[in-house]
Amino acid sequence: MPVEVILPKVDMDMATGRISRWYVDEGAVVKKGDLLFEIETDKAAMEIDAPASGTIRDISGKEGIDIPVGEAVAWIYAEGEASKPAKDMSPVAEFERTPAAPTVAATSALPGLATAKSAPATPSNGARATPLARRLAAKAGLELDAIAGSGPKGRVMRKDVEAAISTPMLEANSPAQPDAIVSRPAASSQPWPAQRAVGTTPLNHAWLRQGVGRPIVLIHGFGADLNSWRPMLAVGPVDAPLLALDLPGHGGSAREVPADLDAIAADVEATLAALDVGPALLVGHSFGAAVAATVAARGHADLRALALIAPAGLGPEINGAFLRGFVRAKSEASLMPWLRQLVSDEQVLSKPFVNATLAQAADSELRAAQGEIADRFFADGTQTFDIRGLLAALRIPVRVIVGANDRIIPASQSAGLPGEVALHMFPATGHMPQVERREQVLKILLEMARA
Amino acid sequence: MDQAVRELSYAQAIQEAMAIALETDERVFLMGEDIGVYGGAFQVTGDLVERFGADRVIDTPISELGGAGVAVGAAVTGLRPIFEFQFSDFATLAMEQIVNQAAKMRYMLGGAVSVPVVMRFPAGSGTGAAAQHSQSLEAWLGHVPGLKVIQPATPHDVKGMLLAAVADPDPVMIFEHKLLYKTKGPVPEGYYTVPIGKAEIRREGRDLTIVATSIMVHKALEAAKTLEAEGIDVEVVDLRTVRPMDKETVIESVKKTSRLLCVYEGVKTLGVGAEVSAMIAESEAFDFLDAPIVRLGGAETPIPYNPELEKATVPQVPDILAAARSLATGSR
Repeated sequence: MPVEVILPKVDMDMATGRISRWYVDEGAVVKKGDLLFEIETDKAAMEIDAPASGTIRDISGKEGIDIPVGEAVAWIYAEGEASKPAKDMSPVAEFERTPAAPTVAATSALPGLATAKSAPATPSNGARATPLARRLAAKAGLELDAIAGSGPKGRVMRKDVEAAISTPMLEANSPAQPDAIVSRPAASSQPWPAQRAVGTTPLNHAWLRQGVGRPIVLIHGFGADLNSWRPMLAVGPVDAPLLALDLPGHGGSAREVPADLDAIAADVEATLAALDVGPALLVGHSFGAAVAATVAARGHADLRALALIAPAGLGPEINGAFLRGFVRAKSEASLMPWLRQLVSDEQVLSKPFVNATLAQAADSELRAAQGEIADRFFADGTQTFDIRGLLAALRIPVRVIVGANDRIIPASQSAGLPGEVALHMFPATGHMPQVERREQVLKILLEMARA
Repeated sequence: MDQAVRELSYAQAIQEAMAIALETDERVFLMGEDIGVYGGAFQVTGDLVERFGADRVIDTPISELGGAGVAVGAAVTGLRPIFEFQFSDFATLAMEQIVNQAAKMRYMLGGAVSVPVVMRFPAGSGTGAAAQHSQSLEAWLGHVPGLKVIQPATPHDVKGMLLAAVADPDPVMIFEHKLLYKTKGPVPEGYYTVPIGKAEIRREGRDLTIVATSIMVHKALEAAKTLEAEGIDVEVVDLRTVRPMDKETVIESVKKTSRLLCVYEGVKTLGVGAEVSAMIAESEAFDFLDAPIVRLGGAETPIPYNPELEKATVPQVPDILAAARSLATGSR
């Protein structure tokens, strides 16, 4: 079994440390006691030796960032050891190994590489997860390997399971609680990067996958949150870094009611800047697509392509009966008829999805904020904003992905788009192509990211 | 009748418990080195020799094995001796009487006799008394069926648990952290007992359970205050008894918080917290754990004389803060 190289505690008060430099590279052969890396603390720099002999692999402890004490920063493989045991494999770890895993003959000097690529997908019972996470996932009928773990080495914890369960696309509303709502001024005139200190991220966010290449940034729709992308990611390997954002008044972001699309776009821009996200593919769904188009049009963020899934803002009509009925629904009986309107095939409405939608009704503050947002952006069942003009002026590749049977925003609104904008229209698909046609949508997005 | 409550030190509370026992039960007597005129190595017996006479507050020769043997023998005959060690480290000298005699006699004689002896052990580091006078050996004795081993953390508890120990038919070993002797707290007047084998939740919380013993209870509570300001809501369980352990209270707490940190001064390996963590891993609480169990115990070393090194060998508040933060934030 490979030997873990952890960030050691070199000082009594130390909770995190920084690796100031690595002395070895990925794949280097080390002997026990060889110098591996140097740790910097407030008081001193300290050199750390190899705890075992073998080949150093899976170096995850990057230089210059704060790393919790005890976290694995690399692994040492003995001669002939193929890969970490299944329980150590996380989407992140597995992914990191893949690009450096050429097909090497068994006689290679580094036999560890030979079979790494053919390591099987993590089986559910081998995923790294806490006992509590296992129990909750089993109860909710979720596969552990479909859940991205946020703990050390990708360990799935309670919050990850709860996040996976909470994938509502739209949220029920309750009477507003005005004291919980903060209205924000329009931000369209704010200079880039919107007068925020470098490092602050106005929007809650999560890297759903780590990787190399062009990052994909995901913006969910009204009433959903960043976890709503997880079902799509579960269907296939994703090798691009994948950042999901929570809109204001949604998920873990501040319970604010933005003044307009420009104000939200400014938050997106500041978040991307603070996270140092380079040239990216921006993806939005529904209301999030209108936000994405606005970000692209403002030109502050470095975007190379734009994908709009069932976008809002292409026409005035939106299913007002759905919005009204959905926000009033309190029980499963009253909710289900409206949830069915979201999709063409109701089989895709999983039990965890329905339960999560119902459970979220408990967060009255969140629902109050979203009620205000709905009143502002979809007043009287009308889309009060228009992104057609923005799309016409864009100079980056744009693709629009819609379902022909969308009963929330009519597919007919995607007619008459500018000629350079590509349109994917999936038959027998409703308002959530990324759920109903998840394999195809993921494939399109990955193609765009690689282009 | 309501009992008046005063502020007493931990040492005063012990002395008051012993005085009540001496007053109310003529079978009770005290033994120990320098506990008479000198008043005890830590002045716990104080002037009891003047109040109760040298027949009931007996100075023994410098022989822990001899003293313990006399105490165990006296207990077998029906007396209720309270035997004070000057330092818990010297339990090593009396192991034959404690482990092979006191703990075994009731079992080996088929219940024909019991051994109602109480032994008091000033324990722990922090006084600059170096390697042979600073240990925490409660896990040694906690390993022996037939003994009861307690670690009261407050003046209230030490009085009530000492009186419960005197009333107990079996040998009870009390580990008193030396740094606790001067700490103060509310203590009711008169006779009361605090049950042996029952933990106490000192602070309720949602995010993390700290099971602490003796002086570590106070350090954990101090850490909990800081963590509260950071939004980490800590539950602090004062274990109070090492044997028999109150499994139920700890299990229920961990089921609530899903995270367990054990903090104890004894050497980490094979210590009290090792037992608590193994007990939880075996229990129904396992399926509620959302993070690995973490132990903070004493370093794997004799206690150093140098005061800075001495502090560094046992868990301190910053260590508890760091461990609790990493546990609560899911980074370990």
